[in-house]
Order: sequence, then C-alpha cells, then structure tokens
Amino acid sequence: MLAIQTGNLTKKYKEITAVDGINLKINQGELFSLLGTNGAGKTTTIKMLSTLILPTDGKIKIRGLDIIKDRQKIKELLNVSPQETAIAPNLSVKENLEFMAGVYQISKRQEKINELIEIFKLDEVLNQKAKTLSGGWQRKVSIAISLINEPEILFLDEPTLGLDVIARRELWTVIENLKGKITIILTTHYMEEAESLSDKIGIMSKGKLIAVGTSGELIKRANAENFEDAFVKIATGGEL
Amino acid sequence: MRTLNFAKRNFKEISRDPLSLIFAIILPLFLLFIFQQFDIPNVSYKLENFTPGIVIFGFSFITLFTAMLISKDRTTSLLIRLGVSPMKPMEYILGYMLSIIPIILIQNILFFVLAIILGLSFNINIILAILVSIIIAILFIAIGIIIGSISSEKASSGISSIIIQLVCFTSGMYFPREMLGKFFGKICEYLPFESCLTILKGIMNNQLEDITTRNIVIFGIYTIGVLAISVIVFKKKMTSDNK
Repeated sequence: MLAIQTGNLTKKYKEITAVDGINLKINQGELFSLLGTNGAGKTTTIKMLSTLILPTDGKIKIRGLDIIKDRQKIKELLNVSPQETAIAPNLSVKENLEFMAGVYQISKRQEKINELIEIFKLDEVLNQKAKTLSGGWQRKVSIAISLINEPEILFLDEPTLGLDVIARRELWTVIENLKGKITIILTTHYMEEAESLSDKIGIMSKGKLIAVGTSGELIKRANAENFEDAFVKIATGGEL
Repeated sequence: MRTLNFAKRNFKEISRDPLSLIFAIILPLFLLFIFQQFDIPNVSYKLENFTPGIVIFGFSFITLFTAMLISKDRTTSLLIRLGVSPMKPMEYILGYMLSIIPIILIQNILFFVLAIILGLSFNINIILAILVSIIIAILFIAIGIIIGSISSEKASSGISSIIIQLVCFTSGMYFPREMLGKFFGKICEYLPFESCLTILKGIMNNQLEDITTRNIVIFGIYTIGVLAISVIVFKKKMTSDNK
C-alpha cells in the first residue's frame, strides 16, 4: 500500500518555483531518502508533505487521504523531527515527552513515555533540562518526541547534521530499528547515510525530482563507481 | 486540554528563567519599596497612586517575556513541530495567554502585600483591582505576541524595552501628564498606558468617577485592536516561517 503519493506537486513563491511538478510514490514501511544540493527543494517538499505549507498546484495523498480535505486526520498520522532540534529548552527531557504527549492527547501517556525512554535509552538524561544536553542527545530526544503519537509516517529533516561520527552512528541504529515499522522520509547531505539506511532514494535538482531508485540502481544509471559519484553526476547532469 | 497543556509548558519555560523573576517581580518590588523611603512632594508617589503604577510597570515586563518566549519558539523550530501537530492557532494564542495569568497573580499579590506593609490600607477594592488587572494584562500579552511574532529573539528584547520605557513615561506612574508639555501630553492621551493606570487606580481607590469614558474607550479599542492584530500576525507568521 502507498503511504505517500503526489501528483504534479508544485510550490511557487512569486516568480520562483521551489518545487516543480513532482510525482512521487512511497510505499508503506519504506525508508525514502530525499537528496539534493542546497536549494533543490527538499525541505519545501517535506513541508508540503507534512501539512506545514500548502502546495500551489498538484495533489498529495497520505495513506489515501487528501492533504487539503483531510488535513486534521492526516496530522494524527504523521510527525516530524525538524532540522533544528525543536525541543522546549527549559523543560527536562521527561517534561518534553509529557508535553508532546499532551499535544497529541495520548491516552496511555505514561506507558508510551516509558517505552520511548527505553528505546532511546533516555534514563541518564531524563531529568536534565533540554538546553543542557549535547547535540547528539538533543537529536535523540527530538526523534523520540516525534514518535510520541506512534506516527505511521515520520519526516526526518537532516537528523544527523553537525553530529560527530559516534553520535551519528548511534542515530543510524535508532533509525535502522524503526525501518519497516513506519514509513520514514529522510533528507540528508551525507551520502553514506542515505546509501546505508534507505530502501529508495530520490534526487532533487532545481525543484524537480530527477531520479528515483535504490542506491545500486542509481550507481548503475550514472555509470559511476560509488554512490557519491552517482549523486554528483545525476544532480549536476554530468557536468562534474 | 491542548491549550492547558501548552499553557503549562509556557509557564514552566518563563518561570524557570531567573531573569524573568528578577525583572517582573523583584525590580518592581524594589522600586515600590525604595520610592516610599523618599519624601517626594508629588502625588504620583503616594502609595495609593504608585502601587497601581507599579502593577502596570510590572505588566510591561510581561510583554517582554511573551515576546521572548514566542521568538524563541520560532527560532528553535518548536513551532514547526507544533505546526505539524493537530494544535490549532487559537490554542497557541490562548496557551500563551493562560500561562501568563499565574505570573500576573503572583506579581499583583506580592506588590499589594508590600504596599500594605508600607502603609496602604487593605480593602476589598484591592481584590477587585487584581481581577481587573488580569483584563488589562491582555493588552500587554497581545503586544508581546506581536513583537515575538515579527522579531528575532534578540530583537524582541530590544523592542520590548521600548514598551517598558513608554509605560514609564506615558502612563503617569512617575509624573503627571501635565509635566510633559502639550505635545507629549497629547501622546500620553492617545496611548493606552495612561488609561490602563487610571482605570486600575480608580478601582483600587474606589474613585470610579476618575475613570472617564475616554479612558474606557481608549483601553477597549487598543485591547481589542491589538489582540486581533496579534492573532492575525501570529497566524501569518506561523505560515511564513514555514515557507
């Protein structure tokens, strides 16, 4: 079953076309990475798919529901971990989880919070104020919070940006464990991250989705030696 | 429920910032105490006039905290996370407003307790004044919502300081309007802060005849207008921040 389907998805800001007629199909349980250079339109696409902004043209179906007509229903099905950590700085980790559980009106609140504490091993920082956490811990907490409503679709916008290798690998393990259970749409600038985690990869350039496939398929298509080379060839149209 | 949940979080964020407590409570308390130690030959400094002035002065810091909280929520992308959630814009606005009410009550109770210790005689009108001050505070919270929605975290504290200065100079808490001359006197008349103080003073001292229709109209127009603008600006900014 399709988790996300778009048809001619377009976003224009006055004269600028940020996203240009994207047709996308993402299967349920799939980890789909959206790659592209800066300004390619990845974040705008994610913002449209996650109900934050409305498309100028085209259609979005989330689990068969229309993004405009069924907006409130769709909001219950998804969650997002934005580029910035997006946690309440003066609240402890536990309070952040409780706060977001309240936002989503989770019925078995404590049970769900305990589950996330266990999955993300948050015990040691549970009573620490979010603003005092390291970057790695803040990202972990941010992803944990985004799972509070048991979303069917999770958007991870550059989840490992600025993290050291160890913290990044730890987050990869977390994301690996989520694979198959929920549909994940990931944006990243790290090629090895996309290659290692994704079931499918989409490459965007100048607002257009110019290639979709597995990392192997994209390497073959670009006739490249590795995925990074393949990405550069596809994204630049072979200019580099 | 979502509104209360959000208000609870906002209250925690504000109350855990020690600077908030120093500026919103300790500074006005200090001013109330210190000005009563001098024998200033001006009616503005009599306890029954200066205490409501301190309440309004304290509210200008409420503008500052509201503005800083909202701008911080925008900077940290917390509003993006909440924008994806089923929360509605009105729930945010009410959540921000409700979180401030306990702080207003704490402020007022402490200001009046100190005033009573310093010699103000207790009467039922003080309770009435506290209740009316909650309505007056809506204006200050709404100004904070506008500032926080349009400015960065750093800029919001600067812009809010202008409001604090405006309150000091135009409310009549430190000196009567007549001392400011014709031009600035007119400005005071058309800004809402003097009306806020006159209303509060009139209720607290049971001198309702001092409150003019003009005071009520100016306060009403500003409060409704600024509140409406704050809702529009906040909604608009939530969308444009996400572009």
